[in-house]
Amino acid sequence: MLKDLPLSGVRIADFTWVWAGPFATLQLAHLGAEVIRIETQHRICVTRRIPPFADGQGGLNRSGYYNQYNQGKQSVALNLKLPEALDIAKKLVAASDVVSENFAAGVMSKMGLGYEVLKQIKPDIIMISMSGYGAVGPESPYVSYGPAQAPLSGLSSLTGFPGFPPMHVGFSYGDPNGGLHGAFAVLAALMHRVRTGEGQYIDLSQLETSIAVIGEGVMAHAMNGESLPRIGNRDPLMAPHGLFRCQGEDRWVSIVVANEDEWLRFCQGIGQPALAKDPQFATAAQRKANEDALDTLITEWTTTLTAEEATRRLQAVGVAAFPTVTNKELAEDAHLQSREFFVEHLHPEVGTRRHAGVPWVFSDTPCQVRRPAPCLGQDTEDVLRRVLGYTDEDIAAFTARGVLS
Amino acid sequence: MSTSQSPTPKSEIRNPKSEIPPGPLHGIRVIECGGMVSAAYGAKLMADLGADVIKVEEPGGDEARRRGPFPGHVPHPEKSGLFLYLNTNKLGVTLNLQTARGQDLLRRLLQDADLLIHNYLPPQMLAHGLDYATFRALNPRLIMTSISPFGQTGPHRDYNAHDLTMWSAGGIVYLGGVSGRPDLPPLKAFGQQAGFQAGVNAAVGSLGALFGRFSSGKGQHVDISAQEGLVAIMENNYISWPYDGSISSRLGFRLIPQDVLPCRDGYIYFLAVEDHQWKGAVEVMGNPEWADADIFQDFPSRSGNWDALKPLLEDWMQDKSVQEVYHAAQAKRVPFAPVSTIGDLLASKHLNARGFFATITHPEAGTFQYPGAPYRFSATPWAIRRPAPGLGQHNSEVYERLGISQTELDELKKQRVV
Repeated sequence: MLKDLPLSGVRIADFTWVWAGPFATLQLAHLGAEVIRIETQHRICVTRRIPPFADGQGGLNRSGYYNQYNQGKQSVALNLKLPEALDIAKKLVAASDVVSENFAAGVMSKMGLGYEVLKQIKPDIIMISMSGYGAVGPESPYVSYGPAQAPLSGLSSLTGFPGFPPMHVGFSYGDPNGGLHGAFAVLAALMHRVRTGEGQYIDLSQLETSIAVIGEGVMAHAMNGESLPRIGNRDPLMAPHGLFRCQGEDRWVSIVVANEDEWLRFCQGIGQPALAKDPQFATAAQRKANEDALDTLITEWTTTLTAEEATRRLQAVGVAAFPTVTNKELAEDAHLQSREFFVEHLHPEVGTRRHAGVPWVFSDTPCQVRRPAPCLGQDTEDVLRRVLGYTDEDIAAFTARGVLS
Repeated sequence: MSTSQSPTPKSEIRNPKSEIPPGPLHGIRVIECGGMVSAAYGAKLMADLGADVIKVEEPGGDEARRRGPFPGHVPHPEKSGLFLYLNTNKLGVTLNLQTARGQDLLRRLLQDADLLIHNYLPPQMLAHGLDYATFRALNPRLIMTSISPFGQTGPHRDYNAHDLTMWSAGGIVYLGGVSGRPDLPPLKAFGQQAGFQAGVNAAVGSLGALFGRFSSGKGQHVDISAQEGLVAIMENNYISWPYDGSISSRLGFRLIPQDVLPCRDGYIYFLAVEDHQWKGAVEVMGNPEWADADIFQDFPSRSGNWDALKPLLEDWMQDKSVQEVYHAAQAKRVPFAPVSTIGDLLASKHLNARGFFATITHPEAGTFQYPGAPYRFSATPWAIRRPAPGLGQHNSEVYERLGISQTELDELKKQRVV
């Protein structure tokens, strides 16, 4: 069934929860890996508990947050406080290629599932830990959620309008960024293993992956001993560069002019070709020096238009522009629909909803979401029978003792 | 899992005397072209794990060379912090892909490559000789990863884009900004975040295709849409519309109680999700009476009454230091974080104990600390083997491998092909 996908036959014992870890294993599921999430009713994944719920009605299997980021995976319920459950988990590791987790550092070891133990069970296992601060270092036991990563990593200190405090970036960026880097790291380790037979342990720090994407900000300080100033939506070199108000409530268009050629085309696009000859805007340096006046002039144009119309006119002359689209507009976007980006599998509790799908198109082995996110414990019996070889009697006995909860 | 099979003839080990163990991507041959961030970051992730990456620049040099930051703020094409960071561990060649000769040389480079990663806009690809059907006929095992703003198909395929317009098109900019200030526009995150995200997505897709080649034996074309990569990371914000019909905005509902709050010497990030974390935060503040108020008893009410809660928190924090509040909170398992400056990071005991920053000497730019390994591999470590290349630094070395003599190379230089 799975033969034609890049990661067909790769099994992942997925102990991750909340968002960063599940986002890493989502990528691997997209690529065809069999991802088996180990969950429990006794400490329910945060994303099952927070909105949005389908039609606003709560329920452990009704959160869009969980159902978006766990598409294509299976869910096994195990109460890991019980020794029998721990044995089942270890058997699952023995039958897997990769173990993933994103608890605070040391939690897996305390449960008896540290790398040293798992390596005895499966010598070529690849294990990745994706904690906030990393597995070692004086602050490694500290608690961290993804939203804390933008402030902690320095990103917030560089983000914001002049004269305002450092700003958050509007969503929990540290999670998916750490998760994507985690998926990349697992793939690299798989590349090594398939060529050498050697597994290994990967210690990923969400903090460090967050710093990795502000490299030029770090270099500025390393080179000159000072932090870059917060400049809102502007750019150190390019102008125009900003969000400009359009017709309608809270409607804006983003516009960037990167070079002199784009500036000439911009002047045509806004119907003011003479502006290209205006000496106060003749070069990027002059446009930067007179950026307030330039922005005022652009706003006079954009406020007469919808964001869509401003975008159409500028893209028609090859200038980068796009409305600041909302989630609703994305869900209804004809371009994304034409690329078959959205996924609408039937889910037993929420019906069909339009989930975001795979952000890559493979020409020969098309990656796809193969099933909706699982209900809690939906695959417990199937995995115990199919993967681990337990009998119906075993399963009944485990169930009676609360092992599979 | 598929059995072991060498992806390509083994390439030579470039630093035979080096004691650095090979990375997990050792022997994987990558050609990178385009400019700025996305392709360069995707290729950097691979180069830092041992792949052999050749960066192909237009003769005028990558735009990132002009972006800075620069030592002493003096622009210099070999000293741009963005370029130096994004291009560690790569060889660098120049090649004019808008000439027939340049395109021919690119095809020759691709003959024994595993991966081509590029970020030319779709309408520019053919003009730069980038045609997967042609490449595949020459090298059926080649994987070509094309990064573009909106993907290789669809009505927006030919749209121009830069980082800010992508952050907008991905729906993310609309989430950022100052709540309660509808007069201000939404706010982008610092830097080139759309480019970095497209880069990691491209790296994931590329390795997925490379891994799949062990069983299929064949290369393929991987189409990376930066926009889709951003829609995929909107937390619960994208999915709100299909689930409960709500529109996510910086001006909207606060899901969890969180904010940046001023301390005596900087800012702390306040975050308390679980009830035990809130109780811990109250203990850190010395159990003030106001914390017993009904309006602060669970996290939805603390979110809903944030305007009342925030000044009380600020009042307590204003004379404390950031580090004092941070460590006291963490001692009670409360996930506060300092709003770090870059200087704080460079001085961080934690990051330095992990050996995070890499000290790299570049012959022209000098010696600086760079962000280092974002992950630690126990068997095949992340490592710096060489600094970013100078413009055309490895032309002789690389073109010699294609059988081009120094005389021919001089001729190509005269014709402005390299």
